[in-house]
Parts: sequence; structure tokens; C-alpha cells
Amino acid sequence: MTVLTLNILRINDKRRDFNTLARLWKDVMEAGDGADVHFDFTRCDFLRPNAVVFLGGLTRLILSRGGTAHLLVNTLQEKVHVNLLQNGFAHAMGADTPPWQGHSIPYREYPEQDKQEIVRMLRDDWFGRGWINVSRALADGILGQMWEIFANAFEHGRSPVGIFCCGQHLPSRRELLLAVADFGVGIPSNVRLFRNPDITAEDAMCWAFKRGTSTAQRPASARGLGLDLLREFVRASGGRMEVFSHDGYARVDPQGESYETLPAFFEGTLVQVCLRCDDRCYRLSNEQPSQPFF
Amino acid sequence: MRINVREWVGENAMTQEDGKVVYDRIHDPLRQGETVELDFEGVDVFASPFFNASVGRLLEDLERGALNAQLRFEHLSGFGERVLRRVIENAEEYYAASPEHRRAMDRIVQDTAAAM
Repeated sequence: MTVLTLNILRINDKRRDFNTLARLWKDVMEAGDGADVHFDFTRCDFLRPNAVVFLGGLTRLILSRGGTAHLLVNTLQEKVHVNLLQNGFAHAMGADTPPWQGHSIPYREYPEQDKQEIVRMLRDDWFGRGWINVSRALADGILGQMWEIFANAFEHGRSPVGIFCCGQHLPSRRELLLAVADFGVGIPSNVRLFRNPDITAEDAMCWAFKRGTSTAQRPASARGLGLDLLREFVRASGGRMEVFSHDGYARVDPQGESYETLPAFFEGTLVQVCLRCDDRCYRLSNEQPSQPFF
Repeated sequence: MRINVREWVGENAMTQEDGKVVYDRIHDPLRQGETVELDFEGVDVFASPFFNASVGRLLEDLERGALNAQLRFEHLSGFGERVLRRVIENAEEYYAASPEHRRAMDRIVQDTAAAM
């Protein structure tokens, strides 16, 4: 049996941090089935939600391949430990301490498609905490588009371990982060299978984003994400959305949209949404403004 | 014939399974020339897998013109309509492909799924 120690470093949500995550995935894959993997956090003083969902998924992936995963709790620095206890990651991994409400969107694992629970989580834990003001109609539209991200993994991604979700409100930066990860087929691979085997990851990501939506009832259908409303909202709020999928990368921010082929690779998809928290109330353009009180 | 969608799928019309429930109820009546109204009163959240499986799939054996005449959508939110229009556009493209091309794509997917 291969014994592997993963040294977890500080993981933020920048491009270079994705390389760090992809490297962890590669190390686990190279260790093979049945590996005994130890997560050492000695050099980690900071983990963003993208890292939390990735590490959670990686742990489940190791277990699904007949291996064992050990999160070395005694190597956790106090700040990171408290964060992982608060958001429920530690509890999901076997710690006794239950999560508590703070500035986290709790860590969740969805081994199977559970629409009621996923919609509840997005509505209550993401939009429902008063960190950002959106009208009910806009929230419904955005929830539908977030569901497209989850559905993509459940229906096309065929993630062997399901989907992982976590978020964080950062009051000092006035940001609301949400990360979703799966370890499935990935967007470029899907597009290559169904549309064009020679397409680059960059072009595949661009196609998937620009394409309206999917014909998912038919197995052969290629899937675009159809995230136009989410993209508009992210831009309007001054936030950003990034999708890492295999070696494809997409970014949406107020400056526009960009697509790239990355040198790093992991089998799956990681979505990071950052919304800017301000005092504005966001609503759909066709919604009527509130009626005057007098 | 009138279908209250909320009665069958709840307030979130999002999954393929939801869509199939609706498809199973409207496909035969539409094939027999009946008029069908899908009433979305009380349905708040929409996603494309639902419309793919309920409406997009109808284009497999029903003509666009017939569907325009026979299938009506009531109380569909603006966002729901946006998703529906894209699904129909996508489904038209899919079903316009030759049967050989579609079969080849289906085979690739089935082989891939079996290998995983």
C-alpha cells in the first residue's frame, strides 16, 4: 500500500492556488487505489472555501478508491482549525464538534442529486443571511442557474463522489464567496466527446458558457451551462465567477469574460463565485420598483 | 387538458425526473392532437434539465408548428420563459441532426459511461 503525505499550504482563491489544488489531485491519482493518504496542515495558515470543497472531495475520492484518508488534526493551526470546525468541514470528516453559525456558508456534501436540499441551502445559506440584497424573482433565476452547475455534475459529470459546496462571508472585504466542486468528467471533456474531439480547453469552455443550455434528456447531448443571468449578476455586483474544469478556465468579472487553457489539470470542475456585498438591492430589469408607501 | 405543474413537481422545476413526469402526461395527448396547457402557477425556480425532459424531447416526434398550436404555457415567469426558449432552440438543433449522427453520439456516451 502506498503511503502519501500531502503537505497542505496556504490556499487562497487566485489562479496560482488552483495549481496547488491540481497538484494535490495529481499526487493522489499517482498514489493509486488503496493509498493511505495523510493531510499535513503544518504549513497552512489559511484556506478559502475553494480549498475546503476541494479537500473534502479529494478525501471522498480517496475513500471511494479503497484508500484511507487521515486529516492530521494536531497539525492544524488554531485559526484554520476554528474555521474548519465552524463551517462543518471538520464535523463532516468525523470531528465531534458540530458546526455553528458564523460567517460561513456551511460545508455540504451531496452524494446524490437532492433538489430540495440544494435549493434550500442556496436560498437560505447563500442569499438568506442578509449579506446581499436580491429580489425574490432574481434570486429564483440565479438559483436556477446555480442548479445548472450542480446538474451538470450530476447528469453529465458523473462525479463518483458527488458534489461539495462551501462558502464564506468576508465582512472586511465585503465579499460573499461560494465554491462548488465535483470530480467528474469536466466541461472540456464533455464538449470534446459530444461536439468536437479536437477542440482546445479554452474553446470548449467558451462554447459551454456561450451556449444557451443543454438537451440533457438525450444522453448524447452536449451541455452548455446557460449561465447568462448569473454572469450578468456577478458583473453587476462587481464580483467575479471562475470555473476551473480539467485544463479549462473561464472567468467572468466586470471587465468581461476570458477563457484559457491551463497548464494544470484535474479531473472535475471547481466553480468559485464571489459576489460584492453592498447596500444596493438587485432585481431583474423587468421587475417593477417598489410602490410608494404614500 | 390542463396540467398544474406544481402539483406534479413542486415549486422547483429543475430536474430531468421532474421533466419526465410532465412529459409522460402530455406526450400522448399531444400526439393525438389534443391541446395541452401547462400551468406554472406557484413554480418559482426553473432549470434546463426540467425543460429538456418535459418539452425539448417533444421535438423528437412532434412538429414545431403542431406544438405551437397545441401546447400553451400559463403563468411562466420571465426567467422560466428564457430557459424554455433556449431549451427549444437546442432541442431543434439536436433533433435536426441525422439519426446516424445522433446514434453515433449516443454510442460514444454509453461506452464512456460504461467505462467509468
